[in-house]
Amino acid sequence: MKRRLIELAATTAALVGFCGAASAEWSKTYVVEWNEAAMYYGAKTGVTDPGTDCPKGTNPEIDQVKLLEDAGYTPAEAKWLRDPANPSRSPVHGQNQMAFRGEGRANVYIHPETTKDYGLVGVSGKISEGINLDGDTSTGFVSPTGEKGIDNTFYKTLGCWKTYRGPPRLSSGALTFNDSMREGAWTVVIVVAGKGDDPMNDKAVDVGFYMSGDKLVKDGNGEIARDYTFRIKPDAKFEALFKAQTKDGVITSRTAADEVWLRDPSYTGELQLLRARVSLTMEKDGSLKGYVGGYRPWKPVYDGWVRARGPVIESLTWVRLPDVYYALKRSADYSPTGPGGEKTHISYAERVDAIPAFVMTPDASKQVTEVTSYKAMASKEPPEKKKIYVVDGLVPDPKVPFGESLKVYPVPAKVSEAASAAPASGRK
Amino acid sequence: MLRRETGDGQFCPGSEDLRRFRAFTCAGAASLALAGATLFAGGLGDPALAKTPKAKPPATVTTAVRRITESQYRHTIADIFGPDIKVNARFEPERRQDGLLAIGSTDLSVTTSGLEQYFALGGSISEQVMDPKSRDTQIGCKPADPGKPDAKCAREFISTVGQKLFRRPLTEGEISARLTTAERGATLAHDFYSGLQLSLTSLLLAPEFLFRTETAEPDPASPGQYRLDAYSKATRLSFLFWDTAPDAELLAAATSGDLQTPAGLNKQVARLAASPRLDDGVRAYFTDMLQFDQFESLNKDAATYPKFSQAVADSAREQTLKTLVDLLIDRKGDYRDIFTSNETFINRYLASIYKVPFASSQEWTRYTFPQSSERSGILTQVTFLSLFSHPGRSSPTRRGIKLHEIFTCQPTPDPPANVDFSKVQAIQNGTVRTRLIDHMTNEGCSICHQSSDPPGLTLEHFDGLGQLRTTENGLPIDVSADIDGVKFSGAQGLGKFMHDDPNVPACLVKQVYGYSIGRAAGYRDQSYIARETEAFAKSGYQVPALLTAMATSPEFFAVKIPAGVKVASQSDTPTSPTR
Amino acid sequence: MSLRFNRRSMLRGLLGGAGVGLGLPALDIFLDVNGKAWADGTKLPVRFGTYFWGLGLTDTPTGGTRWVPTKKGPGYEITPELASLAPVKDKVSVFSGFRAIGDGRPNVVHWSGHASILSGIAPAVTGSFDGPSFDTRIADAIGSSSRFKSIDISPSGKALSYSTRTGKSFSTPEITPVSLYERIYGEGFQDPNNPNWKPDPKVMLKQSILSAVTDQRQALMADVGTADKVKLDQYFTSVREMENQLELQLQKPEKCEACVVPGRPGEAKKSASIDVVNENNKAMAKLLAMAMACNQTRVFNCVHTPGASETYIAGDSKIYHQYTHDEPTDAKLGYQPMSSKLAGMVMQGFGDFLAEMDAVKEGDGTLLDNSLIMGFSDTGYAKIHSLENIPMLLAGGAGGRHKAGQHISSEGESVTRVSLTAQQIIGAPVGEFGTGAMKTSRPITEVMA
Repeated sequence: MKRRLIELAATTAALVGFCGAASAEWSKTYVVEWNEAAMYYGAKTGVTDPGTDCPKGTNPEIDQVKLLEDAGYTPAEAKWLRDPANPSRSPVHGQNQMAFRGEGRANVYIHPETTKDYGLVGVSGKISEGINLDGDTSTGFVSPTGEKGIDNTFYKTLGCWKTYRGPPRLSSGALTFNDSMREGAWTVVIVVAGKGDDPMNDKAVDVGFYMSGDKLVKDGNGEIARDYTFRIKPDAKFEALFKAQTKDGVITSRTAADEVWLRDPSYTGELQLLRARVSLTMEKDGSLKGYVGGYRPWKPVYDGWVRARGPVIESLTWVRLPDVYYALKRSADYSPTGPGGEKTHISYAERVDAIPAFVMTPDASKQVTEVTSYKAMASKEPPEKKKIYVVDGLVPDPKVPFGESLKVYPVPAKVSEAASAAPASGRK
Repeated sequence: MLRRETGDGQFCPGSEDLRRFRAFTCAGAASLALAGATLFAGGLGDPALAKTPKAKPPATVTTAVRRITESQYRHTIADIFGPDIKVNARFEPERRQDGLLAIGSTDLSVTTSGLEQYFALGGSISEQVMDPKSRDTQIGCKPADPGKPDAKCAREFISTVGQKLFRRPLTEGEISARLTTAERGATLAHDFYSGLQLSLTSLLLAPEFLFRTETAEPDPASPGQYRLDAYSKATRLSFLFWDTAPDAELLAAATSGDLQTPAGLNKQVARLAASPRLDDGVRAYFTDMLQFDQFESLNKDAATYPKFSQAVADSAREQTLKTLVDLLIDRKGDYRDIFTSNETFINRYLASIYKVPFASSQEWTRYTFPQSSERSGILTQVTFLSLFSHPGRSSPTRRGIKLHEIFTCQPTPDPPANVDFSKVQAIQNGTVRTRLIDHMTNEGCSICHQSSDPPGLTLEHFDGLGQLRTTENGLPIDVSADIDGVKFSGAQGLGKFMHDDPNVPACLVKQVYGYSIGRAAGYRDQSYIARETEAFAKSGYQVPALLTAMATSPEFFAVKIPAGVKVASQSDTPTSPTR
Repeated sequence: MSLRFNRRSMLRGLLGGAGVGLGLPALDIFLDVNGKAWADGTKLPVRFGTYFWGLGLTDTPTGGTRWVPTKKGPGYEITPELASLAPVKDKVSVFSGFRAIGDGRPNVVHWSGHASILSGIAPAVTGSFDGPSFDTRIADAIGSSSRFKSIDISPSGKALSYSTRTGKSFSTPEITPVSLYERIYGEGFQDPNNPNWKPDPKVMLKQSILSAVTDQRQALMADVGTADKVKLDQYFTSVREMENQLELQLQKPEKCEACVVPGRPGEAKKSASIDVVNENNKAMAKLLAMAMACNQTRVFNCVHTPGASETYIAGDSKIYHQYTHDEPTDAKLGYQPMSSKLAGMVMQGFGDFLAEMDAVKEGDGTLLDNSLIMGFSDTGYAKIHSLENIPMLLAGGAGGRHKAGQHISSEGESVTRVSLTAQQIIGAPVGEFGTGAMKTSRPITEVMA
């Protein structure tokens, strides 16, 4: 093992030498080929089966007709609204009407507090992946390898939700976002650099996560190909620098980074981490695997799902979004303003898989061999405004004036009458 | 002209308009009904031709009919109609003979499925040419009434474009056939341009375009002898230097007769060689010589070589061509340095294969392989290394065979069919050398394998995709060689060995000659090849100098009267070269 | 044109085995004598195809055979490498022991075998035949009333066909299901069962394009030599076939009950590994079978894998060709286990192909019952490039004219006997085939009804 490590280090030193830097320094560079929320899967088979994490399996599908009835629609109205074969129903009715189930038909996506909390079922197991963020081994989970004090309340809260649940690289949510990244939507590179003689055991190591404008390239097996070159694209926001150390090839933070920003594989798109730490292993095959953790603000997570079109998310991922709101709010475990402040953040870990890649300075002239900030080089131009097509969690009907389309639509009188005439059932 | 009576009404349903139109086309269309189908019966296939008594032998003789290549087609279309015209079709496979497709193309014709492709492609090109947005510039004249036929404008277009496509002025018959088509089309569609579009398609489909027909005419300087006519000369020059049809100036030199004079010829050759379009000609030649057509069907096993993709294959091909153009034309380098020069170009895909950073924001960048890369010239680029390997492993035998075949003109015969392979046993462990020793010592295999394998084995530090490696199955790979007493090691040793092999420049001269004239240089050409090789050496092995020297030599235009043609006061034997 | 030239060429034509029947009008009428009929009395056409796979089958000197059945005549047993044919066994005849005879010409490895079978002449060099392949004769005889005279496919992705009129220019095959689909069902396709058929005026415009080309034919042919004339003849044959295609597009197509226009296939994977080749082969067989049911073509040629086949098992670094040469013969088994395994996988392609044809119901049988497909390879025992015992198969009922389901064993007779049999079953006007020692006028009557 030892011999092997020195061999690897030598290779890198040669590369550094090629770029004219001092030969004692070493650096390794990678590109992220997969990243996802670190959600431990407690079942042995499948992607939604019952397991130690979620004894009843993934949270069940929501009966949306029932949900509307609960919100005060008559059974006939609810059925009419949910019937996909209903020829007289506009898309606005079919999809958007799901929003208006709050008090006084308020939009529950932007006003989740107007509806009741059904209580999202969270993880009941004791095991979680992630990082000990607070240094306290008496709080949190035990890692799959037995390490105590793993802080990942995000997992505890949302781990049984179908979109997050599944073995590594198989949950439906992770597949969606990583597929998008792997097709070229964004690229994140990692630079690891040290000054010691043995990269595997180095007391002072720097780790940097940067954006790149160069797309990932797939190989003949559909995996991301190794050894491609990526230029750092300085970004005013997305950059994460860590002070770390290596021991037997495992990179861990020496101290927490106060605040870092990463490109998040989610509808939220961005990940602010406070008190951030890394735990990454330099694998024998040259890859880098592990976690980035810290406290993330929970509200943007909720908003991300809402912005992705509330009704669609609810029906595809089997969830009532207001439940997610209540659960995150209830479970939040960190306040940036001190122990007494409002808990706006929640402990979180992201699983990161990276492979060897060449990382170049923004102008492509040199290989990057050290970890520094490129923020100052970021373009001063305001970022390109994204086209907003989802408003308040809904898609406006293009056939109706903009303001009109997000309003509550009356159910046709006939349906209402028929419903009134029928024996009352389940009306609130 | 053959006529077959057809029951027109039976085949021509539809409106009265259609019926009238049909009456015209059926007659022409049916004319070939009896031909074909019996090609190997020779004259039986065409009773009319066989029966026609020939009062006197023709004044001219067609000495070659060579199907134009895909790149010649593409270049010609881009020259005439501009680079924006999309040429989207699958061309018929070409055939390699004596090391070159250019020689094999002399034997090729157009099969049914090939004609379908040309037909569709011709239609698509002429549709783009007649695009209302650009047709005024493309056509150069306007019809008096766009809703009607216009013989004047149509004639102007057909004869101008036709001359570029046929590489000579059109005969009156060739023009009038297309004029008829244009007129009928315009009448039927009530649109001048629709008619012209049909005429253009028929030019693009014509054998006079799809085949390079070379014509010999009686040589005024030597009665009884034939010489290549000026247009055929212009075509040979243009395809060699630029890989396209002759431009206006070259055609004008043919028309005026200048090209038949030494001074006129020298002037045109100098012009062709000095043009940046020489790149196209050199690229086309090396694409053929290096057998890059095989990239079309190159496959690699994804489990073994995950990095291989179509983008990698396309990049590799481009890398080698860029390297050659840079060395041979831009830097006027020594041809032999192709085996030793490590100055090349890479893009992002290739950088990954070569495992080096891509230090550029451009698509391509110059790159020099360091000594430690073990690379040495084009034999160590992905092209050669991956083309001549198997899908899942390298093949020293294949590489060795191709090395001899491509660069020293020494083809390896097929393995003897009756050889006893049963003694050759597979060895799962160890390196490929261990296995091949069996081939080299096995009687029957040894003659060829002793020649192919040693140079191939020196390239074994590169796997079937061209990636550097030093071990196989955990054992170090031995890349030493001893060829005819010359000992060397690795790809860099091989590069030096090839650089110094006198067969290498002689082979290039021979192949460039064969490429130009469409047949393999033979016994009769030996002294010519030797002379040109000597001149090539004197020039410092500069390829543009070689092309110029050959193109201005009389042998370059030598005429060989083909078997089966009766010419005035001559037998079927070839004539000597004439100027 | 001198008479001398004609005589010489004629002589060569005869030696080439192509002489008999030349110049006779080749018409479908030959076929209607025995053709099966629809219930309403319309004759069902008979189709013909060649199916080639590379590297033969295993029949070792040491360990007996992996493909030659023990039982001769009807009811032969299925052998390991023919396992994929089991479902259609009664519709397939197996021919063993036939060989290509070089008459002093060398064994041009991975070429002489199929060149002999198709042209009847042992070839001088690789890459060309010394005569036309006989499928073109059959296409002339039965292919004139369908839209395409014949269709070539090459599912391995290498653009290879062994069908040739000149011996030099070989047909261009379709190499992906998508390109095959486009060619057959793309522009110019007329659904024979479309009740609202109307002639497309564009077809006539297309005809006028060709007429300008053919107008110049005589001028072009006036001063060419023999070899160039062959090329130009081929070109004009292609033009004529295209004219024929256009003619047919102006006629209301005959209804074909079995024709169901297939959907567009997905993009094919590009690989020479056997799983991918077989997948493409199957997809193309399906399209081709329907093309025949829809009367788009009556003749086809399929090259499953080339002569020195480069197919391989995905993930294995060694190609099939190499296995055949350097894999040791297992002392206990008496054959090369991996080579035999690959042979079986390659033959799965033929099994799949026939299954697709048998899946198309036509009249009271299937498309396969109304077809004759000659399956064959380039070698016998590939390890030694043997030209003996080249596996040959005739599949399909040929409209009742093939007494299928038999094993015909020979003691080294010429492969051309099987080729001649195929031609005569299908009704091509050929009495004799082959040259020199491969010349034969004796078809294998046991399999002819």
